[in-house]
Amino acid sequence: MQYVLNQLINGICQGAIYALMAIGYSVVVGVTGMVTFTHGEVMMIGAFASYYVFLLAGNNIALGLIAAFAASWVLGMAVYKICYERFFNAPRHISLICTVGFSMLVKNLAQILFGSNKKPMLNIVDNQVFQLGPVTINLLQIVILVIVLTLALLLSIYLNKTRGGMALRAISQEKTAAYMVGINVRRTAMLGNCIGCGIGGVAGMLMAIYYQTCYATMGGIMSMKAFSSSVLGGMTDVRLSAVGGLCIGIIENFGISFSSANFRDAFAFCFLILVLIIRPQGFASKKGARP
Amino acid sequence: MEIQKAGLKGFFAKYKTLIYLLLLALMIVFPLLGFKKSMIRVFCRVLMYCTLAGSLNITNGYSGQTSIGHAGFFCVGAYTVAIISTRTNISFWPLLLLAGICAAIMGLIVAIPTLRMKGIYLSIITLGASEVIRIIALNWQSLTGGSFGIKDIPRPTFFAFKFDSPLKFYYLFLGIAVVFLFVSNRVIRSRVGRAWMSIRENELAAKSLSVQTSAYKASNFIYGAFWAGICGGAYAPYLQYIDSAVFSLDEGFNILSMVIIGGQGTLVGPVIGSVIVNGLTEVLRPIGEWRFVMYAMLIIAMMWLRPQGLAGASDSILAGGKIQMATTRKKRKVGAAK
Repeated sequence: MQYVLNQLINGICQGAIYALMAIGYSVVVGVTGMVTFTHGEVMMIGAFASYYVFLLAGNNIALGLIAAFAASWVLGMAVYKICYERFFNAPRHISLICTVGFSMLVKNLAQILFGSNKKPMLNIVDNQVFQLGPVTINLLQIVILVIVLTLALLLSIYLNKTRGGMALRAISQEKTAAYMVGINVRRTAMLGNCIGCGIGGVAGMLMAIYYQTCYATMGGIMSMKAFSSSVLGGMTDVRLSAVGGLCIGIIENFGISFSSANFRDAFAFCFLILVLIIRPQGFASKKGARP
Repeated sequence: MEIQKAGLKGFFAKYKTLIYLLLLALMIVFPLLGFKKSMIRVFCRVLMYCTLAGSLNITNGYSGQTSIGHAGFFCVGAYTVAIISTRTNISFWPLLLLAGICAAIMGLIVAIPTLRMKGIYLSIITLGASEVIRIIALNWQSLTGGSFGIKDIPRPTFFAFKFDSPLKFYYLFLGIAVVFLFVSNRVIRSRVGRAWMSIRENELAAKSLSVQTSAYKASNFIYGAFWAGICGGAYAPYLQYIDSAVFSLDEGFNILSMVIIGGQGTLVGPVIGSVIVNGLTEVLRPIGEWRFVMYAMLIIAMMWLRPQGLAGASDSILAGGKIQMATTRKKRKVGAAK
């Protein structure tokens, strides 16, 4: 029982990171209306930005968070300019392949610039363990949960209560209609893309801290996880994507506790296939609004 | 009655068979001109990737389903031949067929959940499937040898002819490429090929003309996977040693870049892409890692300037459809005389 509870806590913590990835992913997909393969690389850049900040300025997690957010934001602008802006009216596969090419570009550049060896990120957060009844939880997990919840809350307030957020939701529903009521579609799409990427960068940083390492090829698997989670949540729905991320994290942790840790990445994928066969729209009730 | 065409095109149409036979003869004589062994190896790679990129082009270029993880099917084919030929005495040729069939079954498994979706789901699922296949190959110690891979894969023989040098493998790969191009040419000009292309152009319209889209999409995927498996089956005894690192995602992107640079939607496109990319790989060897950056830039540039690729089908949706039209349409004054 205690073992199961601890696995649940691990799963929730990991799932929280996946949820953050999925939130970023579904904001990007919802706002631009096109699918991205660069999200993993965006997260990787976020992780590296925080790595260098921790190296230079000490283990200050707030500074690292800002650096990760900013670096991914800038990369998000590049992604938007190169992969999306020209192709809003073109067939989907063109921007899709463009994002594939861009992710290759970023990954290989990162391998050259940062080196292809794994970078250790040890003890960013003090290794304290708390015992809450039958459950053990460490400080790192608490920090991750707090960061994820705060960011999700901020994003939720932004999307639902402010003018800019409403514009974002409007263009994710219908671009032409949004254009007609006076929203600057291109600028808003860029803003939304950058917000999604920034959140993704923070998720990448948390992932790197959680596994205590970051490396240039970490993006591929992470973008798989982000995609699985957001498919589970119906692709463009931000809240359900977060739930999907939590589910994937918990399933993964229970899966590897019953088999081998080598198959960690296979679980998310098999789960994704099951979801696509049984219920392609995920948790969402409507079938539309998916790219 | 034959319509006479003028110029080069007419000449080509008239002597088509002859030209192809001449080309084939040229290809057969070509490696005998006294190249170095390393050059012959490059030619082998070019020919192998002709078939491999061609099989991806069947999926990407002809039915418009953007598959990215083609390396997975390649991996299945290679491991099928490697595992069975190191443990039993079965001859190479039925195994080659079996490799194709195994890859085709894998293709079916991957295609089924995505039949109801539009393209992007297929992309991600193929990406994930290729990664999962690699993970399984890496971790199933008893069957695949895990991270040590499989050593000493026996060379195939054809009666008394033993394939034991790159030069002889050149002919094996040439044979596979020729058979692939011939069969694909026939398939694409048949009802099946037309159905694939109609799905690529407009799935809804194809459906309303009673094309069984899901069946044709699945068959397209299976056909592409089959040839990737054949390629893998021939590649394993050529290397004699395979491990899972050969079939990483980068390999998939490598194949994809050939298709995109060479051209989608035509049979000759991937051949050109294979020549260009493999040629660049050799020429740019000194700059090492930077060449992957160059491929990526080439892909992006291709998408910006010529989405269908160098020799791609210009009259299809692959060429960009609306953007092309939007940029080429001339402005007219309202009320001006025609």
